[in-house]
Order: sequence, then C-alpha cells, then structure tokens
Amino acid sequence: MLGSFLCKALLASCAALTMIVSASAQEFDYGSFPGYTLRVKLVGGTQYEKLYTRIPEWEARTGAKVEIVSSKQLFDLDREVKQDIATGQITWCVGSNHTSFAPQYGGLYVDLKDYIPAEELAKYVPGTLASSEVEGRLVQLPRVTDVSNLYYRKDLYEDSARQEAYRAKFGAELAPPKTYDELKQQIVFFADPPNLFGTAFTGKDEGMSGRFMEILRANGGDLFDNNWNPTFNSPEGVAALQWFVDIYRAGAVPAGTVNYTFDEIGQAMAAGQLAIDLDWPGFAGFYSDPASSKIADHLGFALSPVGSAGVRGGWSGSHSFSVTEACDNKKAAASFAVFLTDDESELMEAKAGNLPTRSATYDEVIKYFNENGKTALAEMFVIWEASLADARTPPLIPQWIEVSNVLWPQLQAAILGEKTPQEALDQAAAEARTILEDAGVL
Amino acid sequence: MISTINTLPKAAGRSLAGFFRSPRAVPYLLLLPGIVVILSVVLVPLLVSFWTSFTSYNLTRPETLYNFVGLRNYQRLMGSAEFWWAFGRTFLFITITLNLELLLGLGLALLVNRITWGQRTLRTIMMFPMMFSPILVGFQFKYIFNDAIGLANNALFDLGLIDQSIPWLVDGTLANISIIAAEIWMSTSVFAILLLAGLMALPKEPIEAAKVDGCNAWQVFRHITLPFLMPFVFIAMTIRSLDVARAYDMIRIMTNGGPAGRTELLWTLMTRTGYQNSQMGMANAMGYVSIILSIVFTFYFYRKLTAARAFMGGAQ
Repeated sequence: MLGSFLCKALLASCAALTMIVSASAQEFDYGSFPGYTLRVKLVGGTQYEKLYTRIPEWEARTGAKVEIVSSKQLFDLDREVKQDIATGQITWCVGSNHTSFAPQYGGLYVDLKDYIPAEELAKYVPGTLASSEVEGRLVQLPRVTDVSNLYYRKDLYEDSARQEAYRAKFGAELAPPKTYDELKQQIVFFADPPNLFGTAFTGKDEGMSGRFMEILRANGGDLFDNNWNPTFNSPEGVAALQWFVDIYRAGAVPAGTVNYTFDEIGQAMAAGQLAIDLDWPGFAGFYSDPASSKIADHLGFALSPVGSAGVRGGWSGSHSFSVTEACDNKKAAASFAVFLTDDESELMEAKAGNLPTRSATYDEVIKYFNENGKTALAEMFVIWEASLADARTPPLIPQWIEVSNVLWPQLQAAILGEKTPQEALDQAAAEARTILEDAGVL
Repeated sequence: MISTINTLPKAAGRSLAGFFRSPRAVPYLLLLPGIVVILSVVLVPLLVSFWTSFTSYNLTRPETLYNFVGLRNYQRLMGSAEFWWAFGRTFLFITITLNLELLLGLGLALLVNRITWGQRTLRTIMMFPMMFSPILVGFQFKYIFNDAIGLANNALFDLGLIDQSIPWLVDGTLANISIIAAEIWMSTSVFAILLLAGLMALPKEPIEAAKVDGCNAWQVFRHITLPFLMPFVFIAMTIRSLDVARAYDMIRIMTNGGPAGRTELLWTLMTRTGYQNSQMGMANAMGYVSIILSIVFTFYFYRKLTAARAFMGGAQ
C-alpha cells in the first residue's frame, strides 16, 4: 500500500517536474532592454496595424521603446528598403518583409536561427517557416500566411434549375470543382454577363504571374528546372495559359480583369457578381460579414482544385518581420519580432480572418469562431489549414520579381489574343533567361 | 623655362586672390551659396545617374555601382521595341494632353473672366482637381472606367446606349483615351489659372479701340487677346511639359502600363525597371534617352515664348 502510494507520488512529482520544465522551455525570454529605442519599419494599412496596438505591451515587458520610423504599404516599403540599401542608410532594426520580396535583399537581414531558440521556432507551422528561409538562412519570422482556396456562392450551386441544366449538359452533379478543368467548365457555365461572371483573376503584376504559376505547378510543370533554366514555356505552361485564355475568350470573366488587383476581385465577389473566387483567406471575414457582403448568407468554401498532374499549385506567401544585420541590438530586435508573432499576436491576426503561422493557433481560433457564432470562418480555417501541406512560394531567388515583370505582360498578350500562348511564353522565357544570365545565375 | 613654369601657379593664385578681393567678385561671391546648392542637389545626382547608366548598377547590390558595362544598356535600348513603343506613346501622350488642356483651359479662363459675381469662388473651385493627389485621381478614374461596376458603363447602360460593357481600360485605344481624360481632368485647371492671370492683366484700351474700329468678338480675340496671351500660353506649356510626368502615379493605379503594354509610357517602364526590378543602371539609361523628349519640348516652347514676347514688344 505504502509502496504503491510512494510510486504514485513519485510519478506525480515527475509529471509535475516535466510540466514545469516544458513550460519554462516553451516560455520565450523577451529580455530586458531598459532605455533602448528600437527603430522599426512596419507595413501600414488597416488590416496590418491592429497588431501594433500590442507594441506598448512589449515596451512594458522589456523596458525598451519602439520608434516606428516608417509605415507604408508593402510595395512602397520595398522601394524604401531598396533605397536604404543603395545609400547604405540602414539605421533601423526591424522591418516588415514578405517571402516574395525577401530574396532580393541579399545580406540585409540576419539569420534568426542565431537569435531565437529552436524550441520557439518549433511552434511555427513547419512549411511556413521553411518558406521563410533564403539559401538556408531564416531571414524572416512569418506573421500571417496566404494560400488560395475556393470561395463559392452556395445559392448558385443549390439552385435546382442550374443543377438540372448542369446535369443535362455535362452529365455530372453540380458541386464545387475538384479539378481546374471542372473549374473552367463551371466558370463558363455560371457566367451571365454583365450581372454575373464565373470568376475574375488578378490580371497584372505578381498576381497574374502567381496565378499562372499555380496552375502550371498543378499541371506538373514549374517555372524553372533545378539549374534555373526557365521551363514555363513547356506544354504544362501552355495548358495553364490556355486555361486563362479560354475563360477570357468565353466572356466568363470581366473584360477588365486583366487590370484587376485583389481588392477589385474582393469587391466584385462581395457584391455577388462572381460565382467562384480562388482567393486568399483574408477575404473570408469580409465575404461573411452581412454589413459588407451580399453573399454572406450563402458563402461556401472548398479546397483549391488540382491540375492535370493531380496536385495542387498552392501559391503561397507570408508577411513577416526581419532583423537587420546593421542593428545595434539584435537581441531586442529578435525579441520584438517574436513578440509580434507569438501565440497571442497570432490569435489576434487569426480572429481578423488571417491565416496564422503558429500551429497551436488553428485549434484555438476554430474553437473561438464556433463559440462566437462565426461558423463560416471556422469552416474556412479548417479548409485553409488542410491546404497548407501543398503550399509553395514562388522561387526564392532575388530575380523572381524581375522575372515576374517580364512574364505577366506576355501572359496578358496571350489572354488578349495578341499572341498564341506558346509565342507569349517563349518570349517571356527568353527574357527571363537574359535576366538570369545577367545575374550570373545561368 | 623651369622657373617660368614654377612661377605660373603662383601668378595664377595671386590673380585669383586679387580677383576675389576686387569689387568685380561681389556678384559671384553672393551667388556662391546658390551655386554650391545647385551643384550638390542637381549636378552631382545628374553625374552619378549618368555614370550608373554605363554600369549594371542594381539597387540592392551597391557594389555593382562600379561594374562598368560600357554602352551595353544603351545598345539594348536601341534594339528594344518595348522601349521605343513607350517612347512614341509618351510623345503622343504629352502632345495630345497638353494641346487639349490648353484648349479647354483657355475656354475655361475666357468664361470665368467674363463673370463679374462669384469669380473668386469659381477660381477656387476650378483649382480643386489640382489639389487631388494623382494616386487618388487614378483610383477615381479606375472606378469610373471599370468595365463591370464603373460609372461610365452604368450611365451608358441606363441611357440605353450600350447593351454590352465597354472594356475602357483594356482596349488599346480606349485605355489610352481614358488615361488622357484623367490627366486632362487633373491638370486643365493649371492652364486655366495661368491664362486667367494673363487675361486679368490684359489692358482694356486696345480691346476698346478695336471695338470702336468695328472689330467683332472673334477678331478681337484673334488679333488682340490671343497674341497678348501667347507668352502665358508658352510659359504654361513649358511648365506642364516638365511636370506632366506627375501623371505616373495616376497611370500606375489605372493600368500600370498594361494590359500587354498597351498603355506603357516611359515613366511606368522606367519605374518598374529601376525600383521593382532594381535595375537602376538600365533605368537611368532610359532616363537619359528620354531626356531628349524634355529637351525637344522645352526648346520648342522657349523659342515660341521668345518669339511671342518679341511680337508683343513690337506691338507695343
């Protein structure tokens, strides 16, 4: 009896000790930096700035002060950072960053693995953290991540007349598409311009290149081979571009989609003008809010379709924070970056509908949305989390944006019928090759 | 011989010192701060950017500032159809917008000049478009010309004039017309204000004399008002030809040079090359080739201005 009691007590104390040890291992030490002023450049805009209301908490905890020396839209911030590099004026410590931009900045940012313990980094979604590395260096700590899945109007899919017409035409049930071929078929089927379009896509800038890349990868192709030779003019690439050409020529998307950015597509979907939208998770809150959206009551979510290779393209990217090599207090800077991506910060981002970068946040936010009657958002998180396994960033090389800038005008030329898809992609591949040769990559 | 050479710098130094002590140096000394400022803020950046146009300077790799590539950037530009299309389109854009802005601005100025009550309020209202940032104007006109939800298409639908959306910002001709319309809306008031200033300074006597002599309104305008206004016209043209690049922000929002390069102007091409692609060496080479445009316009307008002033002098 006594032996059994002692054994239980020993086990209990061991368990308690293990819990204390693991709790202390999980708790990140934010440090103490009294009197220090941390200069930061942060991405501005309503959706990003709510997080910054937590900054006074970090100041109180560490004794440091934060001076926001610049707060701009991401593209303007990118331009400013490049000017800082050119003039050698890196007088700030933490900067907002993005996985698509990070490779351009060379050695501007430190490898955060040298400043943040591995057990802290283990709390981030592994794939998202891996995408934050450039040449094996963790140059950024992911803040929110993006991967595209389908939003659709349930009322259109549940409409019996449409169901019957679809069955009669294609011999299949009208249900959210599983493949890109099916998606194209449904986009054309639903289109009834000018009141309803099948979908719309970002037709310019990196948005166009990214959407193309997504289908290209889903078809089994890729932008480059292992030696960085451009390979997007392959048959898989031509088929991917033909997909856009087909829905554009069918009049199933607004003619102006070649000038659209994400904002316009979001507005059109919320106004009930689109049947389906392949888009970022950030729109879920907007679409499901009856105050801003006409489709709030019949919003459906589905995983993005697969291509001819049976895989998802999973175009992904993350907003992030980086610490400069020139920073005079890198520990304080790393502490700040961790604080803005810790469990509480991530929950704050997730509650706003953004995809968090910490694994533990998913269960927590799904529970929160279910408990607060926001079941649509809870449903969205389940689907988006499932798609993270297929998420892939654009190529993490400094020349990506430059290559993208020769690619999207050619994609537009094919979509508008000025060139055949093969001609357009061959031209873009030749220009991309010149860029990579000039940069010494080829 | 050797002693002569040695004494030369000393003599030159003495004469230079003598010059600076003399009253003749006063204007130069007074201008010196201005000259230094101009050299540092204009000449030095010009020289640096000119140098970079012969290098492979990449904005994010400062060491490439010294990577001399000779005329490679210029050679590539000479063979680049994309660049020359943008060059031609920019020339056309400036020519059309400046002339239309002049005509509309002149009309506005003449109308406002005839008003006797509330003219100040109208002058203020007229300046409103100038107060908008070009980015804001870009968003405004992008919305107006949106093919699905835009005001232009909706109005045409409601009036029963169309039954299919017009792709304003997609069709090559329409997209350029839309951009020109936005630019004209934004900047016509610059012409109107400058020409109105000219009209208000116009002496009344020659006009009254002409009317007494039996001239009709058109003859008065053609032979008295317009010649008097011409110096104002050319000053306005010169100013506008130099600051028309302000339209870049507006175009970036509306089309960013697309689709498929149909509205690509030198400014969108240069900014994308220099900042997004970080190829500042190439972007500066584009800048130096495109300076030809600025020189041509400025030279033309200054010549016209001088001629107009000489004519006015003769008339007086």
